[in-house]
Amino acid sequence: MVQYTVDPQAYFKVIFHAAKHPHLPVNGVLLGKEEGSTVSIVDAIPLLHHWTSLSPMMEIGLDLAGRHAESAGLSLVGYYQACERVEDKSLAPVGERVASKLQEGFKNTVAFVVDGEKMGSDEAALIPFLPQGTIWRPQSDQTAFSVGSSFQFTAKNVPQKALALVREEWRHEAFGDFDDHLEDVTIGKLFETIPQRLTLLQIG
Amino acid sequence: MMALMSLATALDQLSTFRTNNSRSSQETFKHASVIIKSSQKIGDDGWAVLEQLFLAAVDIGRLDVADECLKQLSTQFPDSPRVEVLTGIRMEATESPDVVLQYYNGLLEADSANAAVWKRKISVLRRTGKVEKAVEELSQLLDTIYTDVDGWLELADLYASCNQYTQALQALSHVLLLASQNPFYFQQYAETAYTAGDLPLALKYHLIVVDMCERDLDDIKTTPPTGLAVRAWMGVKLCARRIILHSPPSASGTAIPKSINVIEQLATERVLAAYSSSKRDKSAMNREVVVSWVGAR
Repeated sequence: MVQYTVDPQAYFKVIFHAAKHPHLPVNGVLLGKEEGSTVSIVDAIPLLHHWTSLSPMMEIGLDLAGRHAESAGLSLVGYYQACERVEDKSLAPVGERVASKLQEGFKNTVAFVVDGEKMGSDEAALIPFLPQGTIWRPQSDQTAFSVGSSFQFTAKNVPQKALALVREEWRHEAFGDFDDHLEDVTIGKLFETIPQRLTLLQIG
Repeated sequence: MMALMSLATALDQLSTFRTNNSRSSQETFKHASVIIKSSQKIGDDGWAVLEQLFLAAVDIGRLDVADECLKQLSTQFPDSPRVEVLTGIRMEATESPDVVLQYYNGLLEADSANAAVWKRKISVLRRTGKVEKAVEELSQLLDTIYTDVDGWLELADLYASCNQYTQALQALSHVLLLASQNPFYFQQYAETAYTAGDLPLALKYHLIVVDMCERDLDDIKTTPPTGLAVRAWMGVKLCARRIILHSPPSASGTAIPKSINVIEQLATERVLAAYSSSKRDKSAMNREVVVSWVGAR
């Protein structure tokens, strides 16, 4: 069984993206690498929030993200999305398409759906989906990110820290995705791999 | 004095939110709370602010505040159709969809011309996965109120979410007729056409957006694209590249321009120009990736 580890900054970015647009669907891709049977997810690139069911900007975003990953010695290893409705935890058709496309380049691609009901709690708000044949299914045999799960964070208390950054520091407000970037190319250092400030100073 | 100034600022900000129809619920909640707490007389705007605060409060889950607003509004405006809609919205937050639908149906029986109630009903249908029914009701609504741009946009989005891109294009074509000055809608049309697989049509509409955004530029050579134009030029680049490689057919019968190679070249220049402005240091990291993208085949 493949193990997945998620770095705090990847998780933070996903949560910021979802928190910034609570009434819209958002999506993006995850960067990382595979060593042995472990896939480490080290970063996220937030892509869209205007309309996630149309493809041209997704195509360009994926292309750019792939090029960036390559230059940073990483691969596109996953996809994430959050729905506009809190209780909706299914991987939308567009999610299945993107995840399947990523799978052509990276066999152990994982797709995450943000769990809106858990976002405000101390629990990890990510539901992993993995392919079974051509269908993407949620991994429900064991709660992801709990002890013994094949999904783990690389630090402690990551969901709590993400929540604090959103609630106390409003970090999601200044957060830009590819859609924002296309409106003002100076917004969103999209392809900056690891925002050190975020992890070292603020989280401590 | 400070309190007065912040009150004026808050009122001003809220009025801007109302005019622009923006859903900045956290901000709205913050500003409106300042006003309500100040308990000063703010005139007729007061009721509009109260309605605004109600909607923001429901959105961010402060139902206690929402209930207080609704109580005051109902007392001031008994039997107001507008307050009836707000009551429905409050029910949506905690009641089951069936109960809410029943409430909306009741209101519609009494007054079938209440478009706001009709729209809430459609949104509940969509939210509960009854997409076909939502499309049917929305189409009926648009038959009645043709000029409802938001309605057409919602219909286009409903179709797109079910991969019915040709129908989405049809709905958007009404939007373009009704709001022909808004380049953002043309961009949405272009991207929908691309997703529908009609590349020549997508190219044409991306170029229309470029024209709308840049027709007033004095000197295109020295002015890099900004705002929506960047997105449109990227779209032009993407479409032109694929058209040159595959010469695809067009379901709408749109011709491929003879100058397609020149268009592709121009798009490359414009996309690169967007990333080489004076703010270069900030976007340098992105620039490298974009340069590699436009250079690829």
